[in-house]
Amino acid sequence: MEKANIYAGQLFVLMFIFELGSALLIPLGIEAKQDVWLAIFFGMLGGLLLFFVHLRLHLYYPDKTPPEFVKELLGKFFGTVVACIYTVYFLYIAARVLRDFGEMLVTFAYNETPLFIVNALFLLTVVYGVYKGIEVIARTGELLFVILYALAIAGFVLVVVSGLIDFSYLQPVLEDGFKPVLQTVFTETWYVPFGEIIVFTMIYPYVKNKKAMKKAGIIAILLSGVNLIVTMSINIAVLGVELTARTQFPLLNTIHSIQIAEFLERLDVFFMIALIIGGFIKISLFFYAGVISVSVICNVKNKSKLVYPIGIVVLFISLTQASSYAEHMYEGITIVPLYMHLPLQVIVPVFLLIVAFIKNRHKKEQSL
Amino acid sequence: MTFKLRKLSKARTTSSKSNEDEGAKTEKNEPLSDSLAQNVEAVKQKTGNSADISIREITLNDQAHTKAAVVFVEGIVDQQAIDDFLIHSLINDDDLKKNPADNILETIAEKVVALGELTRVHNHSELFQALFNGETVVLIEGFSEGVSTDTKGGESRSVDEPPTEISLRGPREGFTESIRTNTSLVRRRIKNEKLWVKSITLGKVTNTDVEIMYIDGLAESDIVQEVENRLNRINTDSILESGYIEELIEDQTATTFPTIAHSERPDVVTGNLLEGKIAIFIDGTPFVLMVPAVFVQFFQSVDDYYSRFDIATSIRLLRIIIFITSLFAPAVYVAATTFHQEMIPTQLLIVLAAQREAAPLPAVVEAILMEIIFEVLREAGVRMPKAVGQTISIVGALVIGQAAVQAGIVSPAMVIVVAVTAIASFATPSYNIAIAARLIRFVNMIAAATFGFYGIILTFIVLLIHLCSLRSFGVPYMAPLAPFDASGAGDTIIRMPWWKVKKRPALTVDGNVMRQGDNQKPSPPTDRTMK
Amino acid sequence: MKRVTTWISGLLLLFLAGCWSSQELPDLALISAVGMDATGDGQYAATFQVINPGNVAGEGTLSRGGSESPPVTTYSSTGPTMTEVNRRVSEKVSRRPYYAHTNLLVVGEQLAREEGLEKVFDAFERDPEFRTTTRVIIAEGTTAGEFVTALTSLDKIPANKVIKTLETTESFWGEHKDTNMREVLKHVGQSGHEPLVSIFTLHGDEEKGKKIDNIQTTSPEARLEATGMAVMQDGKMIDRISNEASRGALWVLDDIQKTAVSLDWKGQKDALVFQIVRNKTDVSVRIQDNLPVFDIQVSTEGEVGEAHVPINVSNPFLSGTVEKKSGEEIKKIIEQAVAKAQELQTDYLGFGELLHRKDPKLWRKLEKTWNEDHFPTVEVNVNADAYIRRSGLRNEPTFSEDVE
Repeated sequence: MEKANIYAGQLFVLMFIFELGSALLIPLGIEAKQDVWLAIFFGMLGGLLLFFVHLRLHLYYPDKTPPEFVKELLGKFFGTVVACIYTVYFLYIAARVLRDFGEMLVTFAYNETPLFIVNALFLLTVVYGVYKGIEVIARTGELLFVILYALAIAGFVLVVVSGLIDFSYLQPVLEDGFKPVLQTVFTETWYVPFGEIIVFTMIYPYVKNKKAMKKAGIIAILLSGVNLIVTMSINIAVLGVELTARTQFPLLNTIHSIQIAEFLERLDVFFMIALIIGGFIKISLFFYAGVISVSVICNVKNKSKLVYPIGIVVLFISLTQASSYAEHMYEGITIVPLYMHLPLQVIVPVFLLIVAFIKNRHKKEQSL
Repeated sequence: MTFKLRKLSKARTTSSKSNEDEGAKTEKNEPLSDSLAQNVEAVKQKTGNSADISIREITLNDQAHTKAAVVFVEGIVDQQAIDDFLIHSLINDDDLKKNPADNILETIAEKVVALGELTRVHNHSELFQALFNGETVVLIEGFSEGVSTDTKGGESRSVDEPPTEISLRGPREGFTESIRTNTSLVRRRIKNEKLWVKSITLGKVTNTDVEIMYIDGLAESDIVQEVENRLNRINTDSILESGYIEELIEDQTATTFPTIAHSERPDVVTGNLLEGKIAIFIDGTPFVLMVPAVFVQFFQSVDDYYSRFDIATSIRLLRIIIFITSLFAPAVYVAATTFHQEMIPTQLLIVLAAQREAAPLPAVVEAILMEIIFEVLREAGVRMPKAVGQTISIVGALVIGQAAVQAGIVSPAMVIVVAVTAIASFATPSYNIAIAARLIRFVNMIAAATFGFYGIILTFIVLLIHLCSLRSFGVPYMAPLAPFDASGAGDTIIRMPWWKVKKRPALTVDGNVMRQGDNQKPSPPTDRTMK
Repeated sequence: MKRVTTWISGLLLLFLAGCWSSQELPDLALISAVGMDATGDGQYAATFQVINPGNVAGEGTLSRGGSESPPVTTYSSTGPTMTEVNRRVSEKVSRRPYYAHTNLLVVGEQLAREEGLEKVFDAFERDPEFRTTTRVIIAEGTTAGEFVTALTSLDKIPANKVIKTLETTESFWGEHKDTNMREVLKHVGQSGHEPLVSIFTLHGDEEKGKKIDNIQTTSPEARLEATGMAVMQDGKMIDRISNEASRGALWVLDDIQKTAVSLDWKGQKDALVFQIVRNKTDVSVRIQDNLPVFDIQVSTEGEVGEAHVPINVSNPFLSGTVEKKSGEEIKKIIEQAVAKAQELQTDYLGFGELLHRKDPKLWRKLEKTWNEDHFPTVEVNVNADAYIRRSGLRNEPTFSEDVE
């Protein structure tokens, strides 16, 4: 853990961009078809629930990062094991997200460029940010937030003005009942992006004002949920359910559809800026969490020494974890949520909370 | 070295330096002797008999025929004052004529000299310091100390309109090369005893006067302490301009962005002092440094504060757009024409393609070439005497604008892009941030040429990280935007009307944040006839 | 310092090694239109209309004005798949074909009828360069290749001529719809709303159309003209509609922006013209006896554009009658169009989609055989209200001696 101090507003901004990060770009929860907004909504509620679990757990040890307090909760050996698992998880997800973004860029704009170069450049930027520390990332996030929101509003206005939106595509509501919606929630939208806020447990100790922190977290989750709902609804309203489900990047297609006055068209760059901003914050936070975990576990005082070697590791994981985009997506849809997200985002934190609750109650009784 | 605290409210101050700091200069620090001849000889010898050292020997009293010498440096003293109030008095004073030799020094100090400040010098180091500060030293036979009077004067530039910061509406005064004139210009604007000035001498050879000025109670005391510490650290032979100090005290050296602001205008310095900032005056330059400096500060011009807030806000937004243009315009052109042809509207693309049809150079080479040519022209324009300056513009316009295009070496669109960038970089109010943008522009062009918009966006994010990681005397460079500070944000890329700006920026101000009372919004009576 | 040097040299190396995806403008062949045909032996033939920028941009640039050489050049190639066709054309073009500015995709009638649009679209859809906003039309009477080859006056680039014609006629007359690939794709994958695609015909001498002379006369020998709309089913063209039938269909689809309706007045045919300025069509569905009934409500605003009989339109009582007549006329047009659609057994009016939204369960039952069994027999009620807001710059025509 480095010596740093971020305030609740910055936490809000980071969480917000983090949640939108990749979720904005992919066909999130499209298995629920036109009810995708419901799927995202329930995912958001689930995310809120997880946030409270994480927060409660954090408040037992307000100045400690998870790798530090799990040792106290589970004992030195098991604590270290759990901490190591989380470290690997964070770094793996950082690599996955990096791969996501690299693949997107290669697919839609840089066909001839090797994935390695695209990923390496992106990671170089992330490494530079993480090297500078969480305060700098948070400040950069504040500025990027303004840019992202300006882009979002501009994009929204352009889509509306060009008259593409037909909300009748969002009907009928609940065509097949709640089942497909809930299935989507429990296999996708709960974990990505909302469950991923588990990574913020590494950031919470830097925030001093815990009350404001709670508020910032709630608002960030709600606002990002609303933004995702609006985005996905617009995608469907513009493209229709079938087309949205068939495309890799529905938002890109929506932006492609904008045509105003023969001049404002082909606004791919909008999409690319949003993509890189979101990706930068998302990868940075996972990567940062990984680096800090390693430095805590291995007791390295100067975390900046770790940034470059771990960066290279993440880069290579991102390239080797799948041989093709199809394989990457298969892992992302069938393996990762079930065997990684569900246990690490939900089960372990709940378990730890129970342990912490019991231990601390015990303490209280003793002190009485 | 330590600072001596002084109130400027006294009309004149001497820079009598304290003695402790002289340890370093032991070779000069020998005491004055009793013998006048020896002292005079020592002065002559040590200054190498310099032509501008003037030594006037006189006889003081009638009986004892006590000899004395008046020593000063020609050109930096007020010759008239020495003649009228010092030498004249010394020769003609009746008290002095009757005075016995033994307490003649006291008489001179207390009764004879009709000049403002008067100090004693005891050793050579003090003697020379006084001399080169424009003081006049009277050495008397039989005394191992001299009397030094303040006779600063001589030629210096008069207060004039500053050439680098023109304002349409506002005071026409600018700083001069004289530190005392400069501090007085600020003093006249803040008539308050809380305006404090601390002095220090820097430069082992040049012995330059440096003073820091701040408003006690507004400036954060930690920052004041930090400024003092950093100035005290300086151990160099010379300080010729504020740029020397700037480079020696800034927070981070590996950056093209200025983390210390400077100005030639007293009203700018005053405004900054009122926001809790600290001004550093350096003798010999009209540029005054101001710390801590934040990024947005470099986009603010004085006119913003003197014109209506709505106008000022729109002009500031324009400046931000200009700055971004000057950073990215050529890079975007390169990226759009070599990577992202899809984002150019079809008709425009056809025109561009027609222009580039016969172009011999790749777009990026063309862009870099033209930018370099422009920088050459600009540099030549700055250095050339005014009379030749016109030639430069003719050559620039004809050769670059006309001939290169007609010869088919560069495409007309590229010339337009370079011209827009050039004008944009001149429209940024602060030269040192505009020049930073120019340098980064080349990096952006290379990034654009290799990775198109991906490269530009990544360099942009790296640039943002870099800016966010900078600090100026502990204050984050991007404040009050990031970290966001509501009290300071009213005067950033927008300017709120004065009646809205209730608070001073909290990051630089020490606690005392309220700037004005409530209800400052003008509320004239509803009956506009005023009857 | 050493670290900084390492960093900088590393970055420079990266930058120098970069440039993979970069392409200078003179290396690109800007394709403005693609014409797709079936050759008959299972192969595709594609014709690419490539812009010659120097001949379009006109004076002021280095290459002289473009009047002498044609603004576009066409290249064609054949092959069994779209990708192969696309790659093969490089044998003939010196530059890399660039599709991002392709605004027009012309599909030959034969290809549209036999193979359908879906197969053609797949390759285009996958290519990130190609835009889904590209207009799609079907060339009738000629092959798409011939169509793409024809030069046009007024608009230097033939593809632009077609697009502008579509845009103008859609908003001015309303018999043709400006359909782009996204809209077609949206409907192809979805039952209950078949797409309509505009049909263009090349009139006149095809051979002359290829020559630059064609655009040097005031009355070109070969002309491109919108002539109707193709009715698609399962991505294949099955029939065509034109004139009132297509206008009525667009009326139901609420795609009418401006058009004009001729009215009879006291036995005189086409005596008055009602110009529509604003139109709103609402189609709603209700379920009656487990069967859907569709109500079409048209409300339209306009003005009198022409009068061949003495009539004072400023008379509010008279204009009420005119309004009523206009409404009836519109109703007639729409009813005929609906009848035509039912006769063709193709639901290009979007009724099925509407039912899907209203009653998903019923729709699921009817979906399979909707076009054949249910759509042709559904009950459709049309109601049209017209409002006259103004009458141009005149109240009465000049020949109104005895104005009523």
